[in-house]
Amino acid sequence: MNRPILLATLSAICGFAQTSGDARQIIAESQKRAHSDSQRYQGDLQVLGGNRQIARKHWIYERLGDFGNSKAVLRFLAPPEVKGVALLVINHPDRASDQWMWTPAINRERRIALQDRSTRFFGTDFSFEDLEERDVEQFDFRILGEDTLDNQSCWKIEAKPRQTKSSQYTHTLIWVRKDNYVPIKYENYQKSRLVRSLHQTQVEKIQGIWTPRYMEMTDTRRNSRTIMKLEKLEYNVPLKEDQFTVQALRRQE
Amino acid sequence: MKESLFFLATLAAAQSFEQKGFVEVNSMLYPQSARNDSGHAVAEGLLRYEGFYRPHPAFRIAAGVDARWDTHQQTAADFNWWERTTHRSAFDIRRLSATYAQGKFSVELGKQFIRWGKADLLNPTDRFAPRDYLNVLETDFLAVTAARVTYGMQSDTIDVVFEPRLTPSRIPLPRQRWLTVDSVPDLRPFLPGGPQAGARWNHIGRGVEYSLSFYNGYNHLPPYAQMRMYGGDAALPLRWLTIKGEAAYFASKTRYEDEYVLYVIQLERQAGEWFFVGGYAGEAVTNGRSIVDFAPDRGLAKAWLGRAGYTIDTNRSVALETAVRQNGHGLWTKLEYSQALGQHLRATAAIGLIRGRQDDFLGQYRRNSHAMVTLRYSF
Repeated sequence: MNRPILLATLSAICGFAQTSGDARQIIAESQKRAHSDSQRYQGDLQVLGGNRQIARKHWIYERLGDFGNSKAVLRFLAPPEVKGVALLVINHPDRASDQWMWTPAINRERRIALQDRSTRFFGTDFSFEDLEERDVEQFDFRILGEDTLDNQSCWKIEAKPRQTKSSQYTHTLIWVRKDNYVPIKYENYQKSRLVRSLHQTQVEKIQGIWTPRYMEMTDTRRNSRTIMKLEKLEYNVPLKEDQFTVQALRRQE
Repeated sequence: MKESLFFLATLAAAQSFEQKGFVEVNSMLYPQSARNDSGHAVAEGLLRYEGFYRPHPAFRIAAGVDARWDTHQQTAADFNWWERTTHRSAFDIRRLSATYAQGKFSVELGKQFIRWGKADLLNPTDRFAPRDYLNVLETDFLAVTAARVTYGMQSDTIDVVFEPRLTPSRIPLPRQRWLTVDSVPDLRPFLPGGPQAGARWNHIGRGVEYSLSFYNGYNHLPPYAQMRMYGGDAALPLRWLTIKGEAAYFASKTRYEDEYVLYVIQLERQAGEWFFVGGYAGEAVTNGRSIVDFAPDRGLAKAWLGRAGYTIDTNRSVALETAVRQNGHGLWTKLEYSQALGQHLRATAAIGLIRGRQDDFLGQYRRNSHAMVTLRYSF
């Protein structure tokens, strides 16, 4: 290899390393700024096919613990036929989450296996995997450049899961606002194919945390989208550890 | 004074009441008349209402009532707290229990649903779960009156259950098509009065879940023999699918009751809009003593069982369920289409096909192939 090419190659490698480190720092800073000990909100969801509303759902979501190492319970409040159905998500910093679903109609909980998490979650455009948190250490990051989205200057970052078997997505593109470090868009890919995108808007400061209140998840394969509005959002609410167990799923029906 | 006011305010804020229920109308059409039943159509109606009151975060009261009617004399005005009536009650207390939970400990007292086991196709260890078998293939669980104590957190839990009096399964009625012999003796006067108890230890590990369970009491199916069960179940998620297994050994002091092992092994997978569960249920009789009994759980043994479904879109789905006897003497298969009509209403249409020989548990119902339409309004 001649010298100019070697220098160019070294420069590119160093540049990549620098960029990779910056990207990780941006994501870590984003997670740090979104930190809360706990969270509760009610999600109002509309599932749309084209522009026609197909279904409306309502759930309550409670989360306890640090990002990437948290526990969360999501329980349907409506429609009536799924009222009481609940999902427990236990996130781990070093691996994919554990998930259990409680179905009142059969009085049983069921573990959602890792390979089943690409399935849509109860007719919405979110998959089971989309409901889990991933710690920054589970991904390799790379800054792809800068972009403007929703009139906001953003970093465009690529995230690749380190354990490729643990995710249905081969990589994700993330747009992070420069002014407040809020991720406002995710594009999830399987190889080169865009399969789902999540666009977050109406970013408001709630209890000191910049929070998107409006989310739109689009399933590009089905041409379907789900709009979720976050209502009654609170941070640092008093929640107990024992509310986030498989046993509690049954008790909390 | 301030403190007590604060306590009361906290208590009031923590109180909650939730309710749900549905009204369902179900019509079953049978093209063929049966040995005991010349009717071709059965219509049923059910109003189910459940309420959950939480006067304190640690305390919950769950209550539920059913009101029923039908065109086929399956419902009667009888009411029995222990569900010991031959007919369904026109008005029934479906559940009524109080739960107290604090940390690792919880206790539930009253009429409640208790489900054990991990498999989906058949649950040999599910001993506190009697069913309504007036229609042998379309069943509903009956609650048992029990004290249930659970101790443990996420990874290891111990469940101890004491049921002071047996709640039996409701068996097919005389002069109806799901009874395939001319008559059966009325065994209700001989229903055991003694208690049953059981314990289950469940472990949730990083890659596997498993349980060990024990039950001592009576079979909720006739002839209601004394029964002792030693069982276990496990679920092991692999890269492409999940393997679930469940097995139980049943011993009995009753002279005319078999001793046997019942087991099921199943594979399951969800992919995109598809789900699939398939497996084998087996039985090994270690001491054959039974003369006659009605045992739908054992009736599904020595058979391949499967269930597959496809979600067409948010509101529509189809499912296929089947059981095929390994010797080919019995077959049951059901194809179901379900559609939500708005936020409250769901319509389900199904066709059930039954084939086989008279001496086979499934085959004996071969004249009960049917079409079914159900409308449910949930609130």
